[in-house]
Amino acid sequence: MARLSRSGQKPKQRSAKRLILFVFIFGAAALVVAQSAPQIRHVFDPVRTTAGDRLGGGDTISLWARMTGQVARERRIKDLEAEVRELSRYRAAAISMAERLEAYEQILNLMGEPPVRGVTARVTAESDGPFAQTLLANAGRAQGVDPGAIALNEGGLVGRVIQLGEHSSRILLITDFNSRVPVMGEVSGVRAILYGGRDGLGSMTDMPERTGFIEGERILTSAEGGAFPRGLIVGEARLLSGDWRVKYGMARRAGGYVQMIPPPLIDTPVAVEEIPVSDEVAPEQASAAQGVRQ
Amino acid sequence: MATRKSGRPRKSLWSITGPTPRLLFGAFAIAAIGLLGLTPKTMFGLSIAWPYAALWGAVGWGRVGMSLRPMILLIAFGLIQDISFNAPLGCFVIVNLVVYGFSAWIAGMFDVMNEPLVAVIAPILQFISGFLVLWLMASALEDHAVRATPLFAAFLTTGVIYAACHRLFDLGRAPGESVGQTT
Repeated sequence: MARLSRSGQKPKQRSAKRLILFVFIFGAAALVVAQSAPQIRHVFDPVRTTAGDRLGGGDTISLWARMTGQVARERRIKDLEAEVRELSRYRAAAISMAERLEAYEQILNLMGEPPVRGVTARVTAESDGPFAQTLLANAGRAQGVDPGAIALNEGGLVGRVIQLGEHSSRILLITDFNSRVPVMGEVSGVRAILYGGRDGLGSMTDMPERTGFIEGERILTSAEGGAFPRGLIVGEARLLSGDWRVKYGMARRAGGYVQMIPPPLIDTPVAVEEIPVSDEVAPEQASAAQGVRQ
Repeated sequence: MATRKSGRPRKSLWSITGPTPRLLFGAFAIAAIGLLGLTPKTMFGLSIAWPYAALWGAVGWGRVGMSLRPMILLIAFGLIQDISFNAPLGCFVIVNLVVYGFSAWIAGMFDVMNEPLVAVIAPILQFISGFLVLWLMASALEDHAVRATPLFAAFLTTGVIYAACHRLFDLGRAPGESVGQTT
């Protein structure tokens, strides 16, 4: 009679199951390693965005609501949520415009800029695990969110859209270690690159050696690199143990909604050779263009 | 303890439930807790460390030895965790399966059901192994040493809740085995 283990399994069965476990583990490890190649990683993007749509989309009435006859109530809740989103957008725009208008009136008596076009979405999931710190918002391509859109809340900059589904967007938070935001001091004008720290405060790198920020001044985006528009509030400068850190503005007003505005669009410059020289160009101008080419 | 008129102790419904319903019930609990964990988790301004629910299954289901169905469930939970945590696909699958294999290995080496010291220390070691594997993988894949504090807090929550409701993930015997098959 075959000897049984403590778990009551025969040795042959046990070794087969052990082999299967190792095959699964090695298969998963191979999958992880394979994703280090961007081409393979992008293969899984549709899976992620579809799953994100399922987790964060939420535009459809759930099966449970249909079974329990709560479709009308669910629809009403969704309508109200949409209205709140819309109102939230107007409120954010009004606050922003009022502040700007006041400053302009005091200094130059100029009219404020028109409100930024954007989509306000509800944060449906957040991941604060060991991997990238991200949020999942319930608005995607179908609602007009652009790839690389900038996410803001009432406190300031939240992050940037890194994955876009039909009805969901995944936002990489500026608090993440891998996030890099070009910033500047509002008063000092000192430039630096902000990245997420380990203690909930932002850290600075690439700062000038001889100048520093002013304690308590607002830190804004500097728009260098073109990923973020200029002047978005990021937080406040704090000098801790000789290092300049940023206390995030977004953390103060985490209300569960984010507004996603389109990223700044910079036209690709056209090479001089590609600019057609019309026949009517004067000989002097043509020779000047040739000089530029040289 | 509740007894019948005959004097024999009355068995609870859970104690007479077979491994397959127990497995399904445990999987349902993991899925429910995991889905709740996707929602923003702040209370009075403090963020709550949410447990890695799939590890309860990995530790609890491994106590009766290896079986294919728990492995498949752990792979499915791992893939969902990978997507929700925005990790490369396969990371949480490895963590879950390593902890499951470790749990089954310890169960094969020691009597985890009857020796109190082993029954307490084994899950602690398994959770620590899961914590280490996840931290190492995350650090390797993110190109820097990731923050250990939130991870440690999440694992602490996982362990504390498991200590309170470990019976929910106790299969009694390997799935598919009939009563009395296990010696």
